[in-house]
Amino acid sequence: MASTRGDMKGFFRQRKKSGGIAKPSAKPKGKVSSSSSKKSSPNHSVTFGSDIAQPPAFVSHGSVNLNDYYDENEEVLRQFDMNMVYGPCLGMSRLARWERANSMGLDPPEDVERLLKGAKASSECLWDGRV
Amino acid sequence: MGAMEVDSENLLQRKQSLYQTSDELFEIQKEMYRGQQYSQIYFARLHLLRTLLYSLIPTWKPHLPVCTVLELEKGKECVVVGTIYKHMKLKPSVLDEYSKKRSATPLVKPHNFMHPDDQLVLEDESGRVKLRGTALLPSVYVTGIVVALHGKETDAGDFLVEDILDAGLPPQIELPLKSGEDKYVVFVSGLSVGSSSSNPLQFQLLVDHITGHLGDEKEQSIAAQIVQVVIAGNSVEVPHGLLNGQNLASKDQSRLSEPIKELDILLTQIAASIPLDIMPGHNDPSNFSLPQQPLHRCLFPGSSAYNTFRSCTNPHLFELDNVRFLGTSGQNIDDLEKYSEAKDKLEFMERTLKWRHLAPTAPNTLGCYPFTDRDPFFVESCPHVYFVGNQDNY
Repeated sequence: MASTRGDMKGFFRQRKKSGGIAKPSAKPKGKVSSSSSKKSSPNHSVTFGSDIAQPPAFVSHGSVNLNDYYDENEEVLRQFDMNMVYGPCLGMSRLARWERANSMGLDPPEDVERLLKGAKASSECLWDGRV
Repeated sequence: MGAMEVDSENLLQRKQSLYQTSDELFEIQKEMYRGQQYSQIYFARLHLLRTLLYSLIPTWKPHLPVCTVLELEKGKECVVVGTIYKHMKLKPSVLDEYSKKRSATPLVKPHNFMHPDDQLVLEDESGRVKLRGTALLPSVYVTGIVVALHGKETDAGDFLVEDILDAGLPPQIELPLKSGEDKYVVFVSGLSVGSSSSNPLQFQLLVDHITGHLGDEKEQSIAAQIVQVVIAGNSVEVPHGLLNGQNLASKDQSRLSEPIKELDILLTQIAASIPLDIMPGHNDPSNFSLPQQPLHRCLFPGSSAYNTFRSCTNPHLFELDNVRFLGTSGQNIDDLEKYSEAKDKLEFMERTLKWRHLAPTAPNTLGCYPFTDRDPFFVESCPHVYFVGNQDNY
């Protein structure tokens, strides 16, 4: 996994400000990674932008990430969306769902509230517009 | 009606009561629909009732563990809490229109959709499990009730039920000490003004009796003890034949609004002398799904001029002199009757109180607004008077 990650990083479309599509050094590896990418394309969105080892739960997010930017804040919020203890996430904004969980005494994590009220995190749930 | 002689020495005063309404619970003006589905209201209901049941289980079965549906193990006796779902063969489904095989379901809607093969299933966020055993009668229960079940998982993967716990009757605030004088509330429903079966003379008789224009002094003194009139739904019957999707001719338009005008005239007479609450019913010009919103004031130009006239939601929750009244125009009980059985309507009403929920079949078979953070049909505290309108007999 560690070696192919390096390939994917080089093969995968970089952010515009950091350069072109594929760096010259990645070209010979490009063929290898293109075949492997067909088998494991969902993982592109997962590993992009972060070097930390991904928890196993990540692999189940099969949808292709249309936004290039997807960081650990979004990850925390997605885990909040997926947690069944706080009820279904579809059809509610994340903050409304957090407020509901709070008023029901379910003790939702505080850093989720901080992220939703402060940082430029998506206010809608993971599946919004996709289901 | 001739002019009545007013004996100024014995001028009767109508009694009065302090009125407080709690209808904000059922109003949906502030709600905004954001594309949510009914899973949200089911979650709110499950959470609310489950918290309640968890507090009751230690006194009911103190030695048994409580687990979720996914945590069930074969042979392990435990208590599980969840929402009941009743799988009914005869329940009409919109998909039946598209099924290739013409099944045995009759085209004519039966009055009751029960069948001996109906099965109950228990569901919570983690999963669902089929319920077996003779302790739980499918004919009594309907989809949407939250209960605690004591039993164990069988080899077949079903849950064999040994005992059931409902949420039970809600606590009742103690009745205020009797002040010594009797006061009466009049409940009326199904007036159906504008229908072929309604008789304006009968309605006029009622109005005269309530307002004290009938009878001798004794009768009038009884009428003076009436403090409130509640009209529980189905006050008008709009001629449906006109509503066939085509543009209405101007004479048809006036025919459409005739019943409401007639009703307003009569309600003005009542409102002039006594506080009046009017609730919408199934046939009234209000929204279809529960909770029905109050009928608009512009429908009653005459009556709404009086501050005694109040247009209320369905269900309606209010207090008179601290005596709590709760009731509906009948849709919840009628729906229970279609999907379960009981010896009479009062038994259905008793069950809704024991389950602590006014309309458990909403939103499954009864239209309901998709609330996200609350379930307004949860009965918080037991009413002193529980009423249901538009039933067959008293």
